[in-house]
Amino acid sequence: MSAGASNPEYVNARVRSRRAKLFADEDYRKLIRMGPSGIARFMEESEYEREINELGTRFSGVDLIEYTLNRNLAKHFQDLLDWSQGRLYDYIARYLRKFDVWNLKTIIRGIYTETDPDEIRTDLIMAGELDEPTIDRLLEVDEIEDAVTVLDGTIYAEPLGAAYEEFEETGALVPLENALDREFYEHLLEDIGRPNLQEPQQGPRARYVEFLRAEIDFRNARNALRLARSGADLDPASYYIEGGVLFDRTELRTLVNDYDALVDHIAENKRYGDRLAGALDQLRDADSLIQFEHALDAALLEYADTLSSIYPVSISAVLSYILAKEREVENIRAIARGREVGLDENEIEQELVIL
Amino acid sequence: MAKDVKPTRKNLMEIEDRIELSERGHGTLEKKRDGLIMEFMDILDKAQDVRGDLADDYQAAQKKINMARAMEGDVAVRGAAAALQEHPEITTESKNIMGVVVPQIESSRVSKSLDQRGYGIMGTSARIDEAAEAYEDLLESIILAAEVETAMKKMLREIETTKRRVNALEFKLLPDLYDSQEYIEQKLEEQEREETFRLKKIKEKKEQAEKEEREAEAEAEAEAEDEVAPDDEGGDTAEPDMEQSTAGGVPGGD
Repeated sequence: MSAGASNPEYVNARVRSRRAKLFADEDYRKLIRMGPSGIARFMEESEYEREINELGTRFSGVDLIEYTLNRNLAKHFQDLLDWSQGRLYDYIARYLRKFDVWNLKTIIRGIYTETDPDEIRTDLIMAGELDEPTIDRLLEVDEIEDAVTVLDGTIYAEPLGAAYEEFEETGALVPLENALDREFYEHLLEDIGRPNLQEPQQGPRARYVEFLRAEIDFRNARNALRLARSGADLDPASYYIEGGVLFDRTELRTLVNDYDALVDHIAENKRYGDRLAGALDQLRDADSLIQFEHALDAALLEYADTLSSIYPVSISAVLSYILAKEREVENIRAIARGREVGLDENEIEQELVIL
Repeated sequence: MAKDVKPTRKNLMEIEDRIELSERGHGTLEKKRDGLIMEFMDILDKAQDVRGDLADDYQAAQKKINMARAMEGDVAVRGAAAALQEHPEITTESKNIMGVVVPQIESSRVSKSLDQRGYGIMGTSARIDEAAEAYEDLLESIILAAEVETAMKKMLREIETTKRRVNALEFKLLPDLYDSQEYIEQKLEEQEREETFRLKKIKEKKEQAEKEEREAEAEAEAEAEDEVAPDDEGGDTAEPDMEQSTAGGVPGGD
């Protein structure tokens, strides 16, 4: 509910207790040495007990772990929305829309491939703003056009409607998926992040905006590097997300054609250059972007953690918890899947992002 | 089977024709077999390279997809894969290597650019891109391996068939034909010898009969002379009878 006064103190008190339950470094060290069934047992004795027991009859092995993690994540994030009020609710909901976007993309892909609605439902993470009845109605439709109609009245209707024409022409889901992702990122800074327009210069909100800009910048950097590497004949400007400080649209268009200049541009940035220096050095010679993306994830997590310690009773602390929880889910999943596919302990450890 | 052949001159000529044709065919097939083996060795080298690449590409693709499944989650990887319905297009044509028709596989839409993979770029990561790219490379290798290995199998089958034909000609058909030729030749020679012998025998018989006739005549003449000497008149009246019987005896001797 966005009605009423903001209640960061209450939400932060609850978040602190939740944060204390997150897995610590030694837990990950234990998990790395376990097989999937051992990991499931370990989770059963932790915060994930309820979900493991609920899903234990339907899934097994690493699938059980992955669906448990998703359901637990959804429960925790829904709690955040339930606890928060006023502007705080708006900020949290805005960030958690990434799960709405995930769900919409999953549903659209399901409709596109004529997948059974029950199968689609298992892949959803109900941590966003879209309510159950809307999701149910979306799962009932057979055509993507009908799904767009169901979304009438939400922020996704307009961009999806516009992208639908392109989808009809090409038959590919790319425009629809890009429209949804863009909608998420561009609404992150809605009414607080417009440059020179009511933007706070200091205080918790200023830090919050800084964090969101970093998220947008990192996403732009990832996409620019992927486009530059792929050599595809695409207009980089059409993949540009407004709101960051790392590039503007014209700069991006030029830089995508010159990979080294693009890397230099990121390295020379005052805000992120030092933080990403090591990863950028590796990136110049590496064949893969994976390590750089890994460094971006770590940097973002560190960023949020710093913000939460500077302003412990603000949206930044909540955001930091959201990121930490997401990271926990990703780490446990990485360990379980990694063990399943035979990665050794060192390989898995390298892929984990732990603060 | 040499013994099954009728030992006639016509059959001998037919067999000689078949021998000539078979010898010519044997030579040609031997050349074909050697040529095919050479072509096969080239394809084998290529197939070995392709096999090696295929194994490497498979390992790389598995590693990438495992990493993507581990780090992005199985649901995200499955979701990204589901965003594309279009399948690569594969067309097969054929080319001829020394009379063996082998396939030539052309593929399109296997390697895709970032915007052709179906999933949105803004919400995915390089892990998904790299897994997709690795699988596109793997698919290209599989198509190439299918082409080369099918060609190899067809060549191998053709070499086997040609080898069997060469061996059949060399160790079965031609020896049988040579046997038949020899058999007929021997039979014909034998028949010729028999004929010569028979003619010789007839000639001897005839000569014997003539000799006996001549002796009989001489004997008769001597007897007649003996009879004429005591009574000359009686001798004159008996002469026409003697001539009659001699004239009738000669044709009977034939």
